[in-house]
Amino acid sequence: MEEDEFFGEKTFQHCCAEFIRHSQQIGDGWEWRTLKDSSEGYMCKTHFQIKPETLMSHSGASACVQTCLPIEEALELPLDDSEVTETTTGSQVIKYEYHVLYSCSYQVPVLYFRASFLDGRPLALKDIWERIHECYKTRLLQEPWDTITQQEHPILGQPFFVLHPCKTDEFMTPVLKNSQKINRSVNYITSWLSVVGPVVGLNLPLSYARAASEDENVHQ
Amino acid sequence: MTDDKDVLRDVWFGRIPTCFTLYQDEITEREAEPYYLLLPRVSYLTLVTDKVKKHFQKVMRQEDISEIWFEYEGTPLKWHYPIGLLFDLLASSSALPWNITVHFKSFPEKDLLHCPSKDAIEAHFMSCVKEADALKHKSQVINEMQKKDHKQLWMGLQNDRFDQFWAINRKLMEYPAEENGFRYIPFRIYQTTTERPFIQKLFRPVAADGQLHTLGDLLKDVCPSAVAPEGREQNEPRLKTDSRSEQE
Repeated sequence: MEEDEFFGEKTFQHCCAEFIRHSQQIGDGWEWRTLKDSSEGYMCKTHFQIKPETLMSHSGASACVQTCLPIEEALELPLDDSEVTETTTGSQVIKYEYHVLYSCSYQVPVLYFRASFLDGRPLALKDIWERIHECYKTRLLQEPWDTITQQEHPILGQPFFVLHPCKTDEFMTPVLKNSQKINRSVNYITSWLSVVGPVVGLNLPLSYARAASEDENVHQ
Repeated sequence: MTDDKDVLRDVWFGRIPTCFTLYQDEITEREAEPYYLLLPRVSYLTLVTDKVKKHFQKVMRQEDISEIWFEYEGTPLKWHYPIGLLFDLLASSSALPWNITVHFKSFPEKDLLHCPSKDAIEAHFMSCVKEADALKHKSQVINEMQKKDHKQLWMGLQNDRFDQFWAINRKLMEYPAEENGFRYIPFRIYQTTTERPFIQKLFRPVAADGQLHTLGDLLKDVCPSAVAPEGREQNEPRLKTDSRSEQE
């Protein structure tokens, strides 16, 4: 299909390729998946998040730090023995899967994600809402149905949570205009993901930004 | 659009005779009779089955009831698909009534979206309408409407009010006189034979040379496997459209 569009699918794929290149350099885990018999594809990443319980009944250790570690390292943390049982640890580790797809209707990228406990139990929408970063909660509580909802993944056909794309244009336009003004190139995907990712626990190391301004101008 | 009023009414008032039967492993205090209902093609399962739910819950204990879900011949039914679509996709070659099995436990988390309330259905419906308008009008028409117009669209669907619905929907189905159609046609093609749930692509109603595209042009372009090449004897592909606010 023709691309007289601001951010067409080809540009999307190009930005993702650049993004993934940097991800590979720093071992950040993003991959590209294509559909067979098609030029379409999407980016995805899995990570595990550990939230240790505040230990009420044990003296001493009381770690209230959210960390993002590979599962093997997490289990080596000096936790009370009784906490490192199948059930307790299982209920504290959450596996997040993030997918970045292109919406041809809105001509923007869209963030899909799902989360489950290690035993496979998925997190419910209300669990997701609870885990949203404090600073975004106000907005979300006012308009919950406009921001994060459960939807069918358009390629996999499975339930995922989605961050609504209809406002993406609003916040991305100033970013792109400014980058033109100060004559510094910007990777649309990097900028966009750095805005929406943190809302749902996905953080981007700063090196992505440096990489983007070093890349050839991927967005005219 | 006004010329097509009869067609629009026929589509809106389309019904599917359905028989709901409780899943045999559900725990009941006495036998559950099947429940018969005419389902509106243009609506959603969880919007129109309150009576079904009440009927079966009468013979069950509260503790044996969790979120209701529906299944046809082993396939969990996606409540977020229009009823007519589900029927045409899965059951159109079977005899009527459509036999649906009702479940109250073991919700299939990996297959179905949860439907916690009517608000969830409204949000989903409005999201579809908005996406369609993004394609048709770059979202201009839907964004210019007031919240009460959005509400009227939803209430029209919820309460089966053709006139109430189309008073608003007609604005979403108009395009400027100088244009020959929408910017892009909002469509989705569903097939049981594919991995992905549907095909959705950008497709203009008018070709570069000004010729109006036909449905055949669209199919040849986005789903060539469904269309027989010219000159060859093949079974005519059967196409069912479920025209609602998203499609003509």
